[in-house]
Amino acid sequence: MPERTIDFGKFGARGIKGSDAVARKLDELSGGIVTPVTVKRGLMARLHYLTKTEHSRRAARDAGLTVTDRTLKAWLDERRSPTKANLERIEAAYRQVRRQNVARHLLRRLNADGGTRVEIHPLNQSQVPRPLQRMVEYRTMNVRRWDRIVEAWASGDHQGLDDAWEDTIVDLGSQWGQYEYVTNIGFAA
Amino acid sequence: MSDFDAIDALLADVGPQAELPPPDVRRELREQARLSKAQVARALGVSPSTVGAWEGGRDPSDEIRAKYAYLLDGLAAKFPTEPAPEAPPSEDEDEAGDESESEAGDEAGDEVESLVAPEACVLCGAPATHRVAGFAQHLDPSDCRPATATGTQPAGTQPAGAQPKTKSTGPAPETAPHSAQRPRSPAKRAFQEQSGPADLIGQTVQAALAEHRGDVEATLAALLKRAIPDAMRLLDETRKGARYDIVAHPWIPDILRKQTSKGADRIWEARPKWTRHELPPGRHEVTALDINGAYLSALKTHLPLGQLEHSAGFAHDRRRAGVHLITPPAWEHEAVLPNPIGNRDEPGPLWVTEPTLRLLLRLSGPKHALCEPPEIHESYTSGATENLLEKFRVALKEARDTAIAADDEVTLEYVKAMYSKFVSTMGESNYNRELYRPDWMHIIRSQAFSNLWMKALKAHDEGLTVVRAMGTDELHVIGDWHRVFPEGRGVTEVKMKDIYTAGVDAADAVDDTGDMSGEEE
Repeated sequence: MPERTIDFGKFGARGIKGSDAVARKLDELSGGIVTPVTVKRGLMARLHYLTKTEHSRRAARDAGLTVTDRTLKAWLDERRSPTKANLERIEAAYRQVRRQNVARHLLRRLNADGGTRVEIHPLNQSQVPRPLQRMVEYRTMNVRRWDRIVEAWASGDHQGLDDAWEDTIVDLGSQWGQYEYVTNIGFAA
Repeated sequence: MSDFDAIDALLADVGPQAELPPPDVRRELREQARLSKAQVARALGVSPSTVGAWEGGRDPSDEIRAKYAYLLDGLAAKFPTEPAPEAPPSEDEDEAGDESESEAGDEAGDEVESLVAPEACVLCGAPATHRVAGFAQHLDPSDCRPATATGTQPAGTQPAGAQPKTKSTGPAPETAPHSAQRPRSPAKRAFQEQSGPADLIGQTVQAALAEHRGDVEATLAALLKRAIPDAMRLLDETRKGARYDIVAHPWIPDILRKQTSKGADRIWEARPKWTRHELPPGRHEVTALDINGAYLSALKTHLPLGQLEHSAGFAHDRRRAGVHLITPPAWEHEAVLPNPIGNRDEPGPLWVTEPTLRLLLRLSGPKHALCEPPEIHESYTSGATENLLEKFRVALKEARDTAIAADDEVTLEYVKAMYSKFVSTMGESNYNRELYRPDWMHIIRSQAFSNLWMKALKAHDEGLTVVRAMGTDELHVIGDWHRVFPEGRGVTEVKMKDIYTAGVDAADAVDDTGDMSGEEE
């Protein structure tokens, strides 16, 4: 059995990459502003978050929000509203800064008490022809060290997160390749 | 396991049938011992209704008969003769300072009967042919094998003055009121100790009280704050060695996801909110009844175990549970009974949970025939079990019962917070991230509503006039409800909240429109 899926979905299986599911779950756990950036309330909340202190301004600039202070002030005072492209930049910057800010706290909780139990829900085979379906069970495992995973997630490093997650699920045993794509990954922090 | 168990069973089989007292005495004995039918039934491995039938004149046979006779013998030996709690003689080697031991020594002077069929000796568990004061035992101590240590886990080891401050917390479950009076025989215990973490709650409360030096309010505040993690810990404990794993983070179909951060999802929980349109003529005394621990009882429901799978079609599989898109049947009894689907404004298909669907299917069945069967369009279901939270529920219920018996408000409030918060945060709540099961949350709530509905039906069938069914636990009836529902604080009983008069006198029915004037005083 090849360990990595070469052409996922060729026979109708559905699911998402395990590392994407982990990133999604970590985003859920990190919380933050729920109102979308396109709404004034959501935009203002994000701008305040990104401009509150000198440190957060610097983090926002590092995260790609490279507009002048004058523009930021105009947005905050509602004299101008950001363009569509800038809205996306604000959202991306907010996401990244938020991740960096909660990463340390989240990591401590995930590593506490001998790690965190992770539920891995296998991919959806309902659309796969019957003879090609395989028995893929629901699995759980305990992940002790989350450092690499959280670090890759906080810095927005997709490839790094994927590698870190793959190194983790190798512990599932020789079947780990079946869990590269999943429907959901659940854990609490 | 002692080898003698098997021999005992064999001997009991070939011996003559055990003598049973007449039916009314059986009942009396059980009531004197303050045992419920359910407790007796559990100990004997039969259903409570069977015990009821035995007390009503039917006779058990064979092995069960021997067990039942053994139980009744034990009770008969205890209650009519000795009002004071008495410890079985087996304990007098271990606990020399206990005051109840003083009687144990001179019991040899009591009546000694010889047994035809040997019974297990209360001291060593080996077959003995004599019974002293109701306890089968060897007359000569040298016949007893010295393996007594296992069975003598003391019932009253706590010295009387051990808890000076914590009197209000009540005894921990292992020192429950009746446990002090149990005959303990190593071989055949009539009452098994509950396995499981029953004392976890008691210990937590004790520890919290000790930490706050008996300050009840501070203790309660601290306990309420940690109710959710404690409930999760209790759940973990109760699932040790269990057959099914709790799947806490399955993939959730979109219908179960909240539409917006503050909004609701698309599941209809069928919360009853019904008031009778027209009262029967005349003025009536309406009693507002309150169902105790509605959510606690609702923990016993069919819960889907794993990830919900989609299916379309009309068949309902009883071994699965989940949420279903149905077209509810028309309800023609609105004048006397609430609609089991709740009061819904819009017509058309809706997503309901398992308990609501089962209620509708039950009502459409031949027994009730109150409506047409619902039409199922699609379902998200998974294999289900009713026992997933059963041990958890029983642990909480027992803590609650003990707290009520001991008048222990702290434990009572704590238990209440545990189960209610557990239910309300098991969905997508940030207060409990260990469990993301919005499906369970809806199902448990619906079960509570469905239980209330069945109580309304029971009241209606028994000839009471149901006036209002509201929320999870509010039922207003006209009539003598005492013969339908037992009053009390247990989960099977109801509490009277209020009595008010409603309706109009026949004389001034003309100018009054018949609305419920005296309501909510």
